[in-house]
Amino acid sequence: MTETENPVHPQATATRPAGRPGEGATYRRLELKSLGELAALVVLVAVFTALNPGSFATAVNLQTILDQAAIPLIVGVGATLVILMGSIDLSVEGVMGAAGMTFVLLSANSRDTVDLGLWAIPVALAVGVALGLLSGLVHTRLKVPSFIATLGVWFVGLGTATVLFGEAAIPFLAEGSLQSWPSGRTLGLPNSFVLAAVVVLLGVAVGRFTRLGRHAYAIGDDEEIARDNGVRVDRYKLLVFLVAGGCSALAGVLASLQLGAGSATVGIGTLFLTIAAVVIGGTSLGGGKGGILRTALGVLLLTVLNNGLILSGVSPNIQSGVSGAVLILAIVAAAWPHRSRLRIVK
Amino acid sequence: MNPSTTNRAPTATLDPPTLRLSNVSKSFGATRAVDGVSLEIPRHEVVGLVGENGAGKSTLLKILTGLHQPDSGVIEAHGTAVRFRRPQDAVAAGIGVVHQEQSLLPNLSVAENIAMSAVASKDQATRFGFYRWRQLNREAAEVLGRVGADIDPRTKVGDLSFVDRQMVEIARALRVDEIVHVAPLVILDEPTSVLERDETDVLEREIRSLKKLGSVIFVSHRLDEVLRICDRIVVMRHGRLVADRRTDSVTEEELFRLMIGKESRAAGRPATGRAEAAQPVLEVEGLGRAGHFTDVSFALPPGHCLAIVGTLGSGREELVRAVYGAEPFDRGTVTIDGEPVRSWSVAAAVRKGVAYVPSERKVEGMVGGLTAAENMTLAHTPRHARRGPFVNRRSRARLAAEWFERLDVRPNDPMLHLDRFSGGNQQKVVMAKWLMAEDLRVLILDHPLRGLDPGAAETVNAQIRAAAQAGAAVVLIADTIEEALAMGDDILVMRDGEVTARYDLSVDSPTSLDLLGRMV
Amino acid sequence: MTRTPEDTTLEQRTTAPATAAAGPSRRRLGPAAVWQTVGPLAVFVALFALVSALNPAFLGGGLRILALQATTILLVALGQAMVLHVGSIDLSNAAMAILSAIVLAMTLGPLAAAAPLVCIALMTAVGAVNGALVAYAQVPSFALTLGTLGILQAAALVVSDATTVYVTANREVLAPLFGTAMVGLPAGFWVAVVLAVLLWVLLRSTRLGQALTAVGLNETGALFSGLRTRRLKVLAFALSGFLAGVAGVMIIAQAGAASSFGLGSDLLLPGIAAAIVGGTAITGGVTNPIGVVFGALTVALIPIAAAAVGVTPQAQSLVYGAAIMVAVALTMTRRNRGVVK
Repeated sequence: MTETENPVHPQATATRPAGRPGEGATYRRLELKSLGELAALVVLVAVFTALNPGSFATAVNLQTILDQAAIPLIVGVGATLVILMGSIDLSVEGVMGAAGMTFVLLSANSRDTVDLGLWAIPVALAVGVALGLLSGLVHTRLKVPSFIATLGVWFVGLGTATVLFGEAAIPFLAEGSLQSWPSGRTLGLPNSFVLAAVVVLLGVAVGRFTRLGRHAYAIGDDEEIARDNGVRVDRYKLLVFLVAGGCSALAGVLASLQLGAGSATVGIGTLFLTIAAVVIGGTSLGGGKGGILRTALGVLLLTVLNNGLILSGVSPNIQSGVSGAVLILAIVAAAWPHRSRLRIVK
Repeated sequence: MNPSTTNRAPTATLDPPTLRLSNVSKSFGATRAVDGVSLEIPRHEVVGLVGENGAGKSTLLKILTGLHQPDSGVIEAHGTAVRFRRPQDAVAAGIGVVHQEQSLLPNLSVAENIAMSAVASKDQATRFGFYRWRQLNREAAEVLGRVGADIDPRTKVGDLSFVDRQMVEIARALRVDEIVHVAPLVILDEPTSVLERDETDVLEREIRSLKKLGSVIFVSHRLDEVLRICDRIVVMRHGRLVADRRTDSVTEEELFRLMIGKESRAAGRPATGRAEAAQPVLEVEGLGRAGHFTDVSFALPPGHCLAIVGTLGSGREELVRAVYGAEPFDRGTVTIDGEPVRSWSVAAAVRKGVAYVPSERKVEGMVGGLTAAENMTLAHTPRHARRGPFVNRRSRARLAAEWFERLDVRPNDPMLHLDRFSGGNQQKVVMAKWLMAEDLRVLILDHPLRGLDPGAAETVNAQIRAAAQAGAAVVLIADTIEEALAMGDDILVMRDGEVTARYDLSVDSPTSLDLLGRMV
Repeated sequence: MTRTPEDTTLEQRTTAPATAAAGPSRRRLGPAAVWQTVGPLAVFVALFALVSALNPAFLGGGLRILALQATTILLVALGQAMVLHVGSIDLSNAAMAILSAIVLAMTLGPLAAAAPLVCIALMTAVGAVNGALVAYAQVPSFALTLGTLGILQAAALVVSDATTVYVTANREVLAPLFGTAMVGLPAGFWVAVVLAVLLWVLLRSTRLGQALTAVGLNETGALFSGLRTRRLKVLAFALSGFLAGVAGVMIIAQAGAASSFGLGSDLLLPGIAAAIVGGTAITGGVTNPIGVVFGALTVALIPIAAAAVGVTPQAQSLVYGAAIMVAVALTMTRRNRGVVK
């Protein structure tokens, strides 16, 4: 096809040197919007450093913040993928409890004699994936909305954990290398954070380069169009719930290690923190827009906020309140420009 | 296989046509939507398909794309008889379609949208489920290059202009030839209805260049464009193909005439003296909404019916919805009974005696899970059917029975959930809901007869006239020009959000051709 | 050309005079409707019979204990049912009940009989704020009320200083609620039942109730009929707050003390379960408050029944979770199957 037969608009040729992708203008992945969150993070750090000169900006406190961020970071990967699809996963805390208890009871502990060693971890992850499978099947096969399906699984998980906990004494993890692993250091960073960082990077790769991740975006963007375009919607929804279950389970194992004991409510408070982080990161609850890196930023923002407030002498009792208030502010701010007289939101 | 088909030279006139329809028909109930259509689409030709709303174009397109199956007739693609049971079958025969509604995912990149299409079967850009973005972008650039679209494949579709999105859709539709290795047929369904002039020029150029790759069916309301772009034009009317002309042997006026058939003229009607004296019920002054309609003004005395005509995208739907308070307007005023409205909303409009019969009946017009009687009293509950905050069930039932009788609603059971009734009977209940108002001032109707059988349509029309007689002002968006000429006292013609003509039928007697000429 | 073949055939069928013979005279009861009317009662009776058969001692006084435990669940469930009725969900109403109880425990001494009213008014206001945000900021209710849940939990912890707050004086003001019995059941339970009946009358016989139903069934259709759909949503959330406030009063009347982890702290799931087992459709517009009474009794019976069949009571939340999913899956109308999020 020659130039004369197919005229190209002159101004367009001026701005775009050639139609060859992979070269030319760099593709901006970090949009201006995420800079807003980065700026907020910087401001928060500055404010808390000023308020707590001796305690906030210290190496020890930085370790604490990173350690505290590990669990919501891991959970956030699964939660973001689910929300990108336009669904929601409320089962996080239940899955954490069930997987955590499974892990503790299968490791060397103060209550029983079963000790699978490291093999306890894959079994615990399998429990999480199984619960994710339950959510996904109930949601896709029985067409139950995801908030109800995962609400049910939340309590199925919590119930499973409570049953495992039983009425005997609290199962403490035996003193051993694994128990102290999360607080150990790699390259000066807490191991728990290193693990979380690896999961986040894997998640980013899944979101960017795999069909699983891209189809999650497509489904959230417009499920009907995605289906018309040949996306096997139900299959990918199910897969994403499996991944989310796995992430929550890993977080449950990590939380149990940090606690040093088994507890059904090991995940308490994680749900607010994670969903708030996903939303303030800029992932839309309607689906299709956002990303895992944004969620990671949101998690850091909230963790710094909570940590700073506590250092500033605010009661730790208000932690869930802070997350809740931030969540409300974030969703209202995100929805405000889209308000219209005919919009229906359930 | 015919050896000449392997030779894809554009001069191969011996090739069988890309598509041939012989005597294709499709009925819905008693309506023959497509009636014995025979049509040939040769290679390297752009064929325009025109016709009024309801002429059968959409049904024909749905048959060609595998969404509907014809009742009778034969479809041949490249000389072989085919049967499209599913959309994929049409794709396999080399037919790609660009629908009126966009089918792209706005938050994904152009490249991804092109890759994700159902058309792309051999997904080279992914390996073991992993995306190879470079490959993906390269392929997309190639596909876009074929239609000469200069679009960066990495752009988010949502950031593209409408014409660029249209180009992406066309590029994607063209990929059918990757699977079937035949010259593709691309169907463009009203691609220009929402485009600006210069965007249309771009699209026009692209369509002409498409000819080198395959054939095109171009559906549009805008006859001037059809004449400019197409080699041949076919006209449909009442489900039949009434004309098949070379573009150089037909004029715009001739096409109008072919589309409408017999030319109807508004019957002159006597000016109603009382209307002149009375204060207008509804006054609209300089009403505008950016991107939808601008500077619309009219005044309606009691008993007057204003019919608004215009094509898809003329802004008339948005206009009447703004008058009803369902959508916003950013300049101008709406005045009801001499009182300008402030903080206008649907609820406020309903309280002022404004009523709206929407075209999306099932979603906007009714609550299907409530009974017919409950639906009738949803907006206005007449005084005797209520007892303080309570519903007086017995008198409501009596009331509903009365209206069922009056409008001949069947089945005759007001206690049945409304979604169990047929479309025509549902529409009667929707009408009853508004006619129940103690003081109905303005009745707005958006395609009130759409999908109705003749009996139900007559009942609804009679009720519209009765409402006008009782002193309401009526604003009507009709399905056809004939309907508008038959029902309206005044006619407002809109095109691209602006009023292009107005007629007072007590003075003027425009023909349907006059109106159509100002619509397109 | 919006006419579809289905449309037209239906039209043909129902307008043809021949079909007049088929003439269905009343609303036909689908499986969902049958469940709605008799299901909750039947499930309760069956479960009750099972427990009584396995444990005959339960018949003597068992019902009284059951009613006692079902009271707060019922109140929270009724509130949840009202919110579900307009198509939303309220994840914060159980936390409101706790906060109400804690505030009441602290104010009953100084304010005496006015304290319960203050608590109920306070929670009604919180509910209304929830509703206003959902309706006017147009945010999804599950996310918004999740945020409110966090704030209320924190408020409860801060107000109670994370300990148990005991009523210091005037406990006798609330004594009649569980001190007196009518027809063998505590008065407090009957209060909740009366509220259920009032809601039933509201939904069934008033224009307001019909408007709420219309919003739940088809919010767009309701809006286009001129209903003030946003205000109706605020009302539903305010009712949920009001009932949570009453539930808080019941907690204090029963226990005389409240804490953010004590009696009533795990009402959220039983509340949702009771509403759904009581026949409330999560898609909105289908609610029978009388059914919710039996839903609450059933949910309160589940731990007792579990113990009777030898399941550890610790499996309680597991059973609730499963019950919710099964009940929703069984009763959901899948009319608009297209997209489920």
